[in-house]
Amino acid sequence: MPDDPRTLLALALVFAPLSLLSIGGGASLLAEIEHQTITVHGWTTQREFADLFAISRAAPGPGTMLSTLIGWKVAGLAGALTATVALYLPSSLLVYGAARLWGRWRGSVWHAVVERGLAPIAAGLILAGGIAVLRVSPGGAAVWVAAIASTALILRWPGLHPLLLFVIGGVVFGLAEATGMW
Amino acid sequence: MSEVEEVGAQQIAPIGLPAIFAGFFWLGITSFGGGTAGWLYREIVERRGWINDAEFLTGAALGRMMPGSGGVNLTVQVGQRLRGGAGAVVAVLGLLTGPLVIVLALAVGYTRINQSSAVHAVFNGVAAAAIGLTFATGLKLVQFRVASAGPLAVTLATVLGVGVLRWPMMPVVLFLAPVSIGLALITRRRPNA
Repeated sequence: MPDDPRTLLALALVFAPLSLLSIGGGASLLAEIEHQTITVHGWTTQREFADLFAISRAAPGPGTMLSTLIGWKVAGLAGALTATVALYLPSSLLVYGAARLWGRWRGSVWHAVVERGLAPIAAGLILAGGIAVLRVSPGGAAVWVAAIASTALILRWPGLHPLLLFVIGGVVFGLAEATGMW
Repeated sequence: MSEVEEVGAQQIAPIGLPAIFAGFFWLGITSFGGGTAGWLYREIVERRGWINDAEFLTGAALGRMMPGSGGVNLTVQVGQRLRGGAGAVVAVLGLLTGPLVIVLALAVGYTRINQSSAVHAVFNGVAAAAIGLTFATGLKLVQFRVASAGPLAVTLATVLGVGVLRWPMMPVVLFLAPVSIGLALITRRRPNA
């Protein structure tokens, strides 16, 4: 039933509320998506869900593309688009409103002070985000070592393109695994 | 969208919508391993100079405190800053189009790569490099913004609370933000007084 509007509506009704509930990252979001997808709607089996999650991790992009994959599984391309829009539109509208409001105060003393005050927190959150990803990474100690090495290389040689490091990281880990080095 | 967008939305020369789309499309397809903020800093702040460090950091902080994906939220704010509503829409479309196509292509071809542990190892290697980019971005911004002891302590407290001790982000930020903003207010007055 890929063209069934009710299926698309069901997808939108699952992911749109999650859009506004997902403060501070994907962990709690993931549990809720899993619950809705498997238990409530029966859109995927446990196994299929695990597969889709693995694919979403392999793809580039911000945050979770898991919703896109579930939408695709349930209702093809229309489902993929519906689930993606439902997950990102409500939160984006909220952020857009905040950005407009924030922009209105640009040039005022308060704008500058708040911006300066938030800067050290933002830098800390970016670093904490890296630690959080590192913590859940399934690759073990080798990933920690490689991440720290990449950090040092990027800071030491700012001209070095990170994509080159991505390729090197992928090739080294792939070869090490394929040749049984660990 | 009309040309009359936000006040101050166009700082120097207006950046075209196609350029915004292209910039964020590239960002979307290269941001592996959740490193969107790092890539955005490199591509949009360092290389293109569309926004400055302070704007990036405020956007990153707000993006994480509000619901949704931090990367998408940051993108919405940059697009809005550059070209108002149209800029935000185009930036997000640019960011998500590539990953959407790639993830669906992967889903179609997945049965073939499913069992290979080498493929998983490759993902781990790429993810490690992406984490390196995130760390490098954070550290660069610490060096740039945090010249004195107070802000540095705030950064360390954030890393310790949210990153190491894994406390919930919102209470930590809601506690530190007034402290940090107060600090900024006090130190701001000094040169002018």
